[in-house]
Amino acid sequence: MTQNKILVGLGALLLIGMMCVFTVGQTEKAIKFNLGQIVKDNYEPGLHFKWPFINNVKKFDARIQTMDSKPERFLTLEKKNVIVDSFVKWRIGNVTTFYTVVAGDIDQANLRLDQIIKDAFRGEFGKRNIKQLVSTDRRAIRDILIKNAQPLAANLGMEIIDVQVMRIDLPPEVSSSVFRRMEAERERVAREFRSEGAEAAEKIRADADRQRIVTLANAFRDAEKLKGEGDATSAEIYAKAYGADIEFFTFYRSLSAYKKTFSNSGMMVVDPESDFFQYFKKQTK
Amino acid sequence: MSWNEPGGDKKDPWSGRGDQKGPPDLDEAIRSLQEKLGKIFSGGNGGGGNGLPGGSAKSLGFIIGGALVLWGLSGFYIVDEGNHGVETRFGKYTTTTQSGLSWHLPAPIEHVDIVNVKQQRFIEVGYRTGSGEQSLGSVPKEALMLTKDENYVDVRLAVQYQVKDARDFIFNIVNPAATLKQVTESAQRGVVGSSNMDFVLTEGRSEIVTMIKKEIQDVMDNYKSGIQITSVNLQDAQPPEQVQNAFEDAIKAREDEQRLINEAEAYSNDVVPRARGAAARKLQEAEGYKEQVIAQAEGETTRFSKLFTEYSKAPDVTRKRLYIESMESVMAGTNTLMVDVKAGNNLLYLPLDKMIKPQQAAATVQSASVPQSTVDPLPQPSVVDEQPALRASTRGRDARGR
Repeated sequence: MTQNKILVGLGALLLIGMMCVFTVGQTEKAIKFNLGQIVKDNYEPGLHFKWPFINNVKKFDARIQTMDSKPERFLTLEKKNVIVDSFVKWRIGNVTTFYTVVAGDIDQANLRLDQIIKDAFRGEFGKRNIKQLVSTDRRAIRDILIKNAQPLAANLGMEIIDVQVMRIDLPPEVSSSVFRRMEAERERVAREFRSEGAEAAEKIRADADRQRIVTLANAFRDAEKLKGEGDATSAEIYAKAYGADIEFFTFYRSLSAYKKTFSNSGMMVVDPESDFFQYFKKQTK
Repeated sequence: MSWNEPGGDKKDPWSGRGDQKGPPDLDEAIRSLQEKLGKIFSGGNGGGGNGLPGGSAKSLGFIIGGALVLWGLSGFYIVDEGNHGVETRFGKYTTTTQSGLSWHLPAPIEHVDIVNVKQQRFIEVGYRTGSGEQSLGSVPKEALMLTKDENYVDVRLAVQYQVKDARDFIFNIVNPAATLKQVTESAQRGVVGSSNMDFVLTEGRSEIVTMIKKEIQDVMDNYKSGIQITSVNLQDAQPPEQVQNAFEDAIKAREDEQRLINEAEAYSNDVVPRARGAAARKLQEAEGYKEQVIAQAEGETTRFSKLFTEYSKAPDVTRKRLYIESMESVMAGTNTLMVDVKAGNNLLYLPLDKMIKPQQAAATVQSASVPQSTVDPLPQPSVVDEQPALRASTRGRDARGR
């Protein structure tokens, strides 16, 4: 019996002890209520004391949360629509405010934060054109947004760690025209390449033709010169040889010309009075 | 709660390695158990209260003692190589243990989370390597991004990372992997957005990767995420699918340019040497002609000179001989018509065309210088003129021309 009594006593003691303490994790923030009134909210992680039944404790996740907003259209300075996808990193700053304003509900907190951030985005995007948004001003926008949204978020008990613009896209109808422009640009490049190729090719061909013509012409010139030299030399030789007796040369050359002229059987009408026929009719002169 | 970090060990830390039993060096473990117990209970709240030396309750003491020993043993845990154990006491961080055997105060008091810090984890942005043999599947929503010159490019990244601080990794961010992905998307868009398309697609690849890596690391450090980016790999940077054809055509055009040039060069290489060849032929022919003409001249003149030497010795006879021989050979080769017109007729009609025809038909008939045979086939010439018009040497051609 005594054993049982001791065991029950120990158990009761342990239970009461358990009800008198609570733990706060490394990732948590806690609020202690005294019959509904907040008495303490700045607990370090670890083991803490509370009165059973009178005190009540609520814990919240103190890690960095993500508010991932849906892609939203914004107008830029040049009145173009862009679709922006962004996210906000935040954590609970003042847990009492967080509890009282958004009831400690992270979803509700995200909803409220989304409105704040969208508003800030709209303001900043309206001041800039697409080029600035996409390339140069990303960091600036981030800094301005954090700075502007921080006090508003603090009203919700939230602390903004970072605001990042993930995507800045053009709406589908605009992006298709971007694609068309890119295509046109490539086509321009392609044509340039092709026609430059044709240009170079034509130049090379023309040069080849020129070289051919020039080569042939030079060859013709040199050939004619050579022939002329030949003719000249031969003329000189003939003149020197035949000059010895012009009369005999004429005679000799005429004879060979006759032979050549009549070599392919023509028709000849002769006079019997000619020298050749002097012995034709009579024996002696 | 995010202790089930992605890619890490999926074991629930509460029931994981915390209650490993069968310790090899029990003595040391018990000593540290005693130390820790002493520390706790001297601090104050001795909720358990194990005194009670009731003589009647010796067996009860044994039971409680046994329970305590078992409870104490459940505090042993083993941390594998490459892992770190993060211990918390009542939720508060106390220490990080290295690999090996360790002990912590058992269940309700202390707790350990084991994190793999050597494992290379990775995320994919812009594509998914399917679990099976699927090829790279593009995710256009993530992959397409605007460049500085307002073109789209298709970029696919793989980011590899490690846990550099297990404590930060566990305690600071709700979902570190998802956060890393968001940050990566943001960072790569920032970097690509400030570069031109050509730079991204060609020479700027490595530079862009370096910039993205730095940007991600900066932001993640700002979040105290405990993540170390080990590498950022640019899997692919391409023009988007929608304009792929145009880009390929541009590349083809570059090839076409080279092709056209090569073809022209081929033509040039064909034509110019041929022309050179033709030119060389022309020159050689001319050279040949020159040599030929000169040689001919020399030949002819030499012959003439030789003959002339003999001629000058006996001009008269040589001259006559030459003449007669020549005439002989001339007459022998032609049809000869002898016309003896002393009657003094003005015109002698010779139907030459009729005379030539039969002669052509029977060309072999050699009448030569025999006048009768020549005259025979001819009609009687009608003598009109009384002048001695025709000379012996008059050629047939001339007669026809009259």
